[in-house]
Amino acid sequence: MSAPLIVRARWGEGYRLVSSTLTTPAIPTSPSASGAPLLRVRDLRTWFPIKKGVFQRTVGHVKAVDGVSFDVHAGKTLGLVGESGCGKTTVGRTILRLIPATGGEVIFKGQDFYKYRGAELRRLRRHMQIIFQDPVSSLNPRMTVGNIIGEPLTVHGIATGTERDDRVASLLHRVGLDPAYASRYPHEFSGGQRQRIGIARAIALSPDFIVCDEPVSALDVSIQSQVLNLLDDIQKELGIAYLFIAHNLAVVEHFSDEIAVMYLGRIVEKASSVELYANPKHPYTMALLSAIPEPDPRPRKRRIVLSGEVPSPSNPPTGCPFHPRCHVTRDAARQANANETVELTIGGRSERVLAKCVNECPPLEQKQGETGHVAACWVTQ
Amino acid sequence: MAPPPIPRPVAAARPLLELRDLNIAFETSRGLVRPVQDVSYSIYPGQTLAVVGESGCGKSVTALSILRLIPSPPGKVLGGQILFEGRDLLSLSEREMQSVRGRDIAMIFQEPMTSLNPVYTIGDQIAEAVMLHQKVSARQGYEIAEQAMKDVGIADPGRRLHEYPHQMSGGMRQRVMIAMALSCKPKLLIADEPTTALDVTIQAQILELLRKLQRETGMAMLLITHDLGVVAENADAVAVMYASRVVEYATVEQIFDRPQHPYTEGLLKSVPKLGAHAQRLVSIPGMVPNPSNFPGGCKFHTRCPRTRELAARANPAETVEVRSGDETFRVMARCTARTAGPVAYARGHAQLSAGAGPVGNVDPATGGGATAGEPELREVSGGHWARCHYAENFEKSPVTRPDLANKREVTPEAVASAELGEVTL
Repeated sequence: MSAPLIVRARWGEGYRLVSSTLTTPAIPTSPSASGAPLLRVRDLRTWFPIKKGVFQRTVGHVKAVDGVSFDVHAGKTLGLVGESGCGKTTVGRTILRLIPATGGEVIFKGQDFYKYRGAELRRLRRHMQIIFQDPVSSLNPRMTVGNIIGEPLTVHGIATGTERDDRVASLLHRVGLDPAYASRYPHEFSGGQRQRIGIARAIALSPDFIVCDEPVSALDVSIQSQVLNLLDDIQKELGIAYLFIAHNLAVVEHFSDEIAVMYLGRIVEKASSVELYANPKHPYTMALLSAIPEPDPRPRKRRIVLSGEVPSPSNPPTGCPFHPRCHVTRDAARQANANETVELTIGGRSERVLAKCVNECPPLEQKQGETGHVAACWVTQ
Repeated sequence: MAPPPIPRPVAAARPLLELRDLNIAFETSRGLVRPVQDVSYSIYPGQTLAVVGESGCGKSVTALSILRLIPSPPGKVLGGQILFEGRDLLSLSEREMQSVRGRDIAMIFQEPMTSLNPVYTIGDQIAEAVMLHQKVSARQGYEIAEQAMKDVGIADPGRRLHEYPHQMSGGMRQRVMIAMALSCKPKLLIADEPTTALDVTIQAQILELLRKLQRETGMAMLLITHDLGVVAENADAVAVMYASRVVEYATVEQIFDRPQHPYTEGLLKSVPKLGAHAQRLVSIPGMVPNPSNFPGGCKFHTRCPRTRELAARANPAETVEVRSGDETFRVMARCTARTAGPVAYARGHAQLSAGAGPVGNVDPATGGGATAGEPELREVSGGHWARCHYAENFEKSPVTRPDLANKREVTPEAVASAELGEVTL
């Protein structure tokens, strides 16, 4: 219809050149060809500026997400695990454009998701949804449950009036709640029930992809298993792909086909869930696995207790971000020649670690084991 | 497979803390709510007792009432005793109680940010605790505070003394709380979900720190948690609470190997285990009941898989129909407050329908006694108590005081021989 329009869009603190024609690419209505992933994330970066002083000058950046890449296939679950401050929630929101990306690509069903604007964007948004962590703050307390679940149907013009009410009732039933609850308000429900309402809202539009941002962390143990089973059933029934974000590795491992472990804004290991548990390659993954307390009083496994705190993403360590806490580099330094090691003062103590770990950041590369099992470590094979 | 050696049981000394039939109530505009009913358990010196349960079961209210931290209107002690070294804490004056709090019994809470005063430095807060309980000058108080911080592994304590809580991470603040709690070398530490708000690697550090401090000082710990993994790795004895009552009480091995109560079984089955790759998690249907609306009879019967299984195989005369929302199922009559006729409950909730009879033969003045249909806590096998009509041997089991006299007394030697390969960096 017209010549390409070059638009400078401001994303966060960086500028990204966005060119678009006035006719944006057609939104695909059918799933991409088999084999091609539903979602491809390439080198995603989300940096938040740190501003100081009277003039609010940018003095640095919090690199919440710093070069994350992965694929999610239709109907499968990718687990994203890491501790607070590692950037996993930011990844989920950046993919959905709830937070603008500073760099990188999000390709959904073969199309660049960041190219869309306006009504076109809204049309694509119905294929991706999110379930939030906090069942209390994620539901508008002034809307009835029926309106909360029905809102997506209205916004996208899918259904109105009695048809909308019918669909809301069937969604409530699907998530295990009495359809009569549609006229109630969120405060009348327990945490587990509110999370079910959040799930009903997310599946209202039958999306292809849902970001589950710590959906069960705030729930009691017996309710967690109910909600996880519900998510599992829905996935099998509707063929939805999940990005399952959590810090509880046992829950993630149970639920995911593939798992990516994040530390300080980067993926440090990625493998199928069976392989990750059986054969962890990155020292941080090993520490995470061994830190999880197991509900069995007898076998005492060899435990790796990490020292120190997670460093701040505005001031990450040089080289490999994990080196200040890494037991593998310390073990390797004991075996290596003196000129290959470096002495560091951490927390008041002197330690020797491998120089390479301090100077260069290891790339994510294939390790011995299953194809597709990658980890970012200079030492482990 | 032989289990690792368990330290030899030591002859029962007197328990350090003993709760006997504690009953707490809150007066609300809707009537009396009873979040703690007939709770009894005991802790011996050096022992770690884990109290496990989900939100609303009464475990935190029980712990707060040990230190008499429940505000008196609306809270009320309806009956029972809290014996600390033989003295009933409920009979002490507030002044006497103040010398117990912090010095003999200390407590750490779940949310370190809200338990630390944001406008005072860390040093001020720890020193305050020290100076309240020990006759020392301010300078000495700060020195003790610095030492306490070093003991809990805070690097560069001299500088940290002058920092404020908001300048520290969650794990660090929790260490500060522990330093404050331990600064007066208490005999008992009550830890109310101390690691729930923390990341898993920080949780491992904090729990290891608590275990180390226990070994060094011989302190006992009341650990309140809903995480069974934390229980398995840290507790000697476990009390499982559901809906205001203790439903099971035994050593940690017994609880995990041979749980007698269906709620404990359900909890154990619904936790995803690392490496198990189960297809589907077993879950307990329904929800935890609201304390203002407990079901009649056994408080767990509306969600209990055991009673349903038994009712499916039993003589219909012994069963009762229950309607919950749009679900109808049969349960054993003995588990309910009625012996005949259908019982209807709102979906997911356990509410008494009209005509289902009174809550039970409870005297509101003293609050004692199980309600009609509710099982008592009986010793179903040596050192193992359960509250279920259909636990093994329940009929013939005596009602004894829950007290793990054969508990392991944790001495440094015993622990050293049982601990394996902890690598700390």
